[in-house]
Amino acid sequence: MIAPEGYERPVISFQRVWKTYPNGTDALRDICLTVPEGDFVFLVGASGAGKSSLIRLLIREEKPTEGRLLVHGHDLGRLGRRHLPYFRRKVGLVFQDFKLLPRMTVHENVAFALHALGESRRVIARETDLALETVGLAERARNYPTELSGGEQQRVAIARALVHRPRLVIADEPTGNLDPETAWDVTQILASINADGVTIVMATHNREIVDAMRQRVVALERGEIIRDHRYARYDEDFQASALRIH
Amino acid sequence: MKTFRRALYASISAWQNFWRNLAVSVAAVVSIALILVLAGIGLLLGHALGQVLDSYQQRVSVLTISVADDTPLGTVYDFEDQLRARPDVVSVRFISKDEELRNFASDPRNQQLIQQVEGNPLPAKIEVRVARLDDVKRIDAVARQWRGADRNDPTDYRGDIISNMLRLSTWLTIGGLVMLGILLVVSVVIVMNTIRTAVYHRRQEIELMKLVGATEWFVRGPFVVEGVMTGVIAAALAVGLLLAVYRPFVERFQAELFFLPLSYDPRFVPVLAQDLLVAGAALGAVGAYVSVRRFVRL
Repeated sequence: MIAPEGYERPVISFQRVWKTYPNGTDALRDICLTVPEGDFVFLVGASGAGKSSLIRLLIREEKPTEGRLLVHGHDLGRLGRRHLPYFRRKVGLVFQDFKLLPRMTVHENVAFALHALGESRRVIARETDLALETVGLAERARNYPTELSGGEQQRVAIARALVHRPRLVIADEPTGNLDPETAWDVTQILASINADGVTIVMATHNREIVDAMRQRVVALERGEIIRDHRYARYDEDFQASALRIH
Repeated sequence: MKTFRRALYASISAWQNFWRNLAVSVAAVVSIALILVLAGIGLLLGHALGQVLDSYQQRVSVLTISVADDTPLGTVYDFEDQLRARPDVVSVRFISKDEELRNFASDPRNQQLIQQVEGNPLPAKIEVRVARLDDVKRIDAVARQWRGADRNDPTDYRGDIISNMLRLSTWLTIGGLVMLGILLVVSVVIVMNTIRTAVYHRRQEIELMKLVGATEWFVRGPFVVEGVMTGVIAAALAVGLLLAVYRPFVERFQAELFFLPLSYDPRFVPVLAQDLLVAGAALGAVGAYVSVRRFVRL
């Protein structure tokens, strides 16, 4: 198992997980990965390396073909339909295309997640305001997504992912549609959430951000984990690159 | 409390979505209303046919037994009691020879004939109203075996008319049920496709609901409530339209085809309105439930 040392309570645990699609393609091969609580993990790799498949397994849009995947203690391969909503409530999701509902205001888009939990109007109003403040968009609450920039839309999506206070946020290419400056802002928001103890798993192609953040980097290639290092750069071990410089 | 909040949220969302997707909502209302107008026309036609058939059945479900002149009155009363005791008999009425003659004489067409007649050649009669049309044959058999019945012409039983009437009634019922079945299948398919279009427009919303941890029922709820709302609005439209034309149409029909016992029946109006409203709500709910199913499944 490729995993850094010093883990305590794993939030995510891939145990020899394979994902094979009906056409016979092995999207993930023998994945072993443990993510402890409070970690910030970048998933990197070329297109088709298996990042999206791994994310789809993490949010239980797909089931592993082989092996065991535990998230927050739930065995996702065995999780029944009835229990799936309750699992998803423990996870916050951020997508490359934001997935905001254009007919709803910013406030309604964020509150939406809490309505699904059946929270009272008072709690919904309080938590939504708090989430929008966290991402710096409290003053845009009455605007519609189409009236916001790409970066602001992604911040709304992050607020929606946070509003129910999950302990794990999974972000699939959250900076993919953003300019470098906005991408950096969005990553900083995720970093500040991580500083509060929330585990972050972020799939990305953004070399600059990964290099600048110096967090744990899990690199995938042809469905396999080829590297898993802490304080690393996008495509090589930070210590190795540091040695070369000196 | 959470269930109440979710129900409230479903109702508010349904109302908002109805207006936010007005074009699709109007299309759904119009298609359901058209189906319900067709169903309503079917119900009105069925009711009108039922009225005509009932009136004929009322006439032929009375069997008249002629009483032989020499039958003692006591025997007649005994037979009356015997008939009244039967569950298939609704009422029994004795018409004396004198009453029968008076009835005969009161008809202007018999004026000449009555002047040529000496004494009273008409027999006394027993009028028996039966509960169901197919009971007439059984009562006729009992009457023919009764010794007080006139040997030459014991009853006015017309088996051929009754069997034709029964056959007509059976076929009309079968035809009505077949029509209802076809209409039901066609309407569910149309309603499902209309609502599916509405649901397809909002598949991203459904997708998101599922991703943030909404249960299947939480996702489905607003669509089902919206389906009921759409169905009820459509039914109200259909009822309004049908009521606007029902009375004028019947009056026109009565004027043209006066020999048919058809009339405007105000008692049928609330029945029609209730049936269509229930059908509209049910169509909307079932259509929405089935349409959203594919998208909602986790």
